[in-house]
Amino acid sequence: MLRPLGNINKMDPAELTMLKKRIDAATAIMLLIVGILVLRLWHLQIQQGSEYQQRSESNRIRVQQLAAPRGNLLDRHGETLVTNRPRFNVIWIRDDTPHASEVVRQLASILDLDTTQILDRIRAGANQPRYIPTRIKEDIDWPTLVTIENNSFNLPGVQIEVHPQRDYRYHNMASHMVGYLGEISRQELEQHRGGDYRQGDYIGKMGLEKLFDTYLRGEKGRKYVEVDVRGFAQKQLQIQEPLPGNDLQLTLDLQMQRAAEAGLKDRAGAVVAMEVNTGRLLTLASAPTLPLDAFSGGISRTVWQGLLADRRAPLVNKPIQSQYPPASTYKIVTAMAALEEDIITADSTFYCGGSTVFQGHRYHCWKREGHGHVDLEQGMAESCDVYFYQLGQRLGVDTLARYARKLGLGRKTGVVLEHEKDGLVPTREWKRQRFNEPWQDGETLSVSIGQGFNLVTPIQVTRMTAAVANGGRFYRPLLVTGIIDPEGEVLREFHPELEEETPARDSTWKLLQKSLEAAVMNVQATGRSARIEDITVAGKTGTAQVVRLARVELFEDDEDIPYHFRHHAWFTAYAPAEDPEVAVTVLVEHGGGGGAVAAPLAKEVLEAYFRQQKTPVVLLPESLIRRDGR
Amino acid sequence: MLRFDRRLLTNFDWIMLVAVIVVALLGLVNLYSATALQQGLGTSVFIRQVAYLLVGFTVIFAIIMVDYKVLTKWNYHLYIMTILLLVAALVIGTDVAGTQRWINLGFFRLQPSEPAKLMLVLTLASYYYRKDTGAGFTFRELLVPLGLTLLPFALIVRQPDLGTAMMLIFIFVSMTLFVKLKWSTLLTMAGVGLSFVPLAWFFYLKPYQRQRIMTFLDPESDPLGTGYHIAQSKIAVGSGATFGKGYMQGTQAQLDFLPERHTDFAFSVWAEEWGFIGSIFFLACYFFIVLWGMNIALTARDKFGVLLAFGIVSLLFWQAFINLGMVLGLLPVVGMPLPLFSYGGSSLLTTMAAIGILMNIRMRRYMTGS
Repeated sequence: MLRPLGNINKMDPAELTMLKKRIDAATAIMLLIVGILVLRLWHLQIQQGSEYQQRSESNRIRVQQLAAPRGNLLDRHGETLVTNRPRFNVIWIRDDTPHASEVVRQLASILDLDTTQILDRIRAGANQPRYIPTRIKEDIDWPTLVTIENNSFNLPGVQIEVHPQRDYRYHNMASHMVGYLGEISRQELEQHRGGDYRQGDYIGKMGLEKLFDTYLRGEKGRKYVEVDVRGFAQKQLQIQEPLPGNDLQLTLDLQMQRAAEAGLKDRAGAVVAMEVNTGRLLTLASAPTLPLDAFSGGISRTVWQGLLADRRAPLVNKPIQSQYPPASTYKIVTAMAALEEDIITADSTFYCGGSTVFQGHRYHCWKREGHGHVDLEQGMAESCDVYFYQLGQRLGVDTLARYARKLGLGRKTGVVLEHEKDGLVPTREWKRQRFNEPWQDGETLSVSIGQGFNLVTPIQVTRMTAAVANGGRFYRPLLVTGIIDPEGEVLREFHPELEEETPARDSTWKLLQKSLEAAVMNVQATGRSARIEDITVAGKTGTAQVVRLARVELFEDDEDIPYHFRHHAWFTAYAPAEDPEVAVTVLVEHGGGGGAVAAPLAKEVLEAYFRQQKTPVVLLPESLIRRDGR
Repeated sequence: MLRFDRRLLTNFDWIMLVAVIVVALLGLVNLYSATALQQGLGTSVFIRQVAYLLVGFTVIFAIIMVDYKVLTKWNYHLYIMTILLLVAALVIGTDVAGTQRWINLGFFRLQPSEPAKLMLVLTLASYYYRKDTGAGFTFRELLVPLGLTLLPFALIVRQPDLGTAMMLIFIFVSMTLFVKLKWSTLLTMAGVGLSFVPLAWFFYLKPYQRQRIMTFLDPESDPLGTGYHIAQSKIAVGSGATFGKGYMQGTQAQLDFLPERHTDFAFSVWAEEWGFIGSIFFLACYFFIVLWGMNIALTARDKFGVLLAFGIVSLLFWQAFINLGMVLGLLPVVGMPLPLFSYGGSSLLTTMAAIGILMNIRMRRYMTGS
């Protein structure tokens, strides 16, 4: 079958030409195919080269967001109220862990967790890309951090991640005003479209944190890292440091705010203090306060339910959102109207026999035995109801309403905070529209001592008092003095803003001021417990009935009265009487009598004001602002 | 026949030797970059490839010592040995990712489907050389070589290794078309071949193989599965642009985006790092070997030499075309190394043996037998 090896001959010429033709043809086909490959290379590398370069770049480069430290909140002296602290989380990077079960066991003992808890966390993160670390435990304390760092050799794959976290230096102080942060919602994301807001960002949800979020939040940094196909960082390419947020310098005075909140204790209520000649708010306290730390990082359901169920309504920012009957503080309105309408002079007197009869109804004074002959000063000092019934009766409800409006009641003060309430100044027209009933003249008497339909907010009352003190000037309440950038430069300043001046005779202001002074300084003054050393205080108490007196008087002792039947205690004041600087208003819900409960608290706040060296509100030098070590 | 003629030395094919060294060195340079950062591989792969190359050159020199005609005598022994190895791979082969392609020899994992390609070239060359009457083959006469092809084909498909199996068909078709056929034979062959396509699709291809082909036809349908390999390879090649990203700077390769980058996708690494210029340089070097092989076929002293050289050339050419077509996104992903350039001992040694045979034919072009 095989031919002998040596017998192979040279090919004959015809066959040779045939083979040559075939080889030529095969070579041609081959070159054609090589040409296709070259064309393809040309297409991919030359024609589409830059496009593929971009795709290769986006393949390899991952952008990591770096959280920016949020701006601080400072009080008017530059004292830090809210700042940031590092929050340490224990994270787990799966691919770096060869002996996982041993590591989990060790980690469990360090973190004081059950191994199953750790495994649950790891399992929960299992469907994420492997390079995304799983959070094992958040916000660990220093000793734990040190233990983990010291054992890092035995804990491969376990790392510590640092995030800036809000640090409330004074816990829940001024909580309603400060507000809290939460993860951005879908609607908020929509609202801030075009801004530097992303899914998962934290955003101010309430108070100043919300209103000044764009200033406070700073700019996120970006870290460009080269990643491999699994997404693990291989090297850092470029880093753009985050820009810290701007600080807010507030008008708030920490000492006064602290005095106010301490004085309110666990009761419900509000304290407002305002500079008489600028409108700067030195105190804006609402009790009970909100648990700010519980809000950060998502509030738990039980805490939230507790807040909702609390009868003291902790979620309401009471100085601006709660409306109360003004009670005797309203006598300022009635007195002013009577003076301006020439119904009384300083010497006019009315007789108080403990009650008066009007249109067949008997209207009582709080003092059943009566005050005898009472002029304006005594009427105000001893808060004689009969005196003011007489004024109200002569003025009529609509005139009272006009003066109430002149003193800033019945409308928002324009403070920056959200959801401010209007209050209510009743008129004949209002009642007809509201209840479709005519006004009863007897109701005017109730209104004149602040017990009718009228409703006010503590901040309105404060502004009214300040206006009486300064002779009718209404300033917009200021909460923020300035916005300071991280370099210490002032970005924006908020100056006092005179909104309107209520015209009235000088003598009217003088008489009102004198009568308010008497209401604190007189021997029989209802507000005498607000007196402070060396400084003359002028003010007015109020005790707002929540239910008709008759029902409450069944109880011998105030303590026996059920909470919801107890009176609201009011006190509004300014000082020094000769040259007013500061106005303070206190309201204690269901606290009892204004003189007994509210006035002493106002005294505390006023003392906190005068105790301090009177530093004017100026922006502090950088060195002082930056000392929080951010 | 073992007598060594001095003329052999004067006719030694230096050109082919230099061309092979150049391409092999390009492969080593590229392999170093592809594996430098790869954990668990790294230098051991590089050193192994250097060792295979040294062994390969020894194989070349061993092969050129003996006149290639001896192969007409031994080819059936070699054929049977190869078939036995293929069977062995199926029976005792190492299972890697669901395929049984390797026989573990301890120091070396032999992939018998690689030498099987060369054995088929050899077998077909001797068969056609012996049977050619000059009148043209009839279909009946082609049944024997078809059978000789389908036996290893079936064994390799069983592994399963579709790429290598298809390679056997490419060799059979190329070599059969090269010898003289009757027109009727040609038509019958085409008809039979075409009718096999749907049969193979439905009965022979594994789901993942079908998936690969479907993905190739519509890469967007499965961007993270099979299409991912093609997409990443295209990104690598394309992003190399004109001048490339620089040696060891290819991000697609260095950051693991390229799969199989030291074996089947080695050229992606090269194209990414050296760009269009480097790619053209490589193609020029590689296809110079192929063209030189054609020249060897043209100048061979006898018809067996012509057939053998042509078969080897088509082996080198089709493998390169399928590999490059796959890397450049022109063909579906099948396991197919780029001869001389990709990492892999079986492929490299087989290729070097094939080159040795070519050089052997070249050296003896003026010899008229003893």
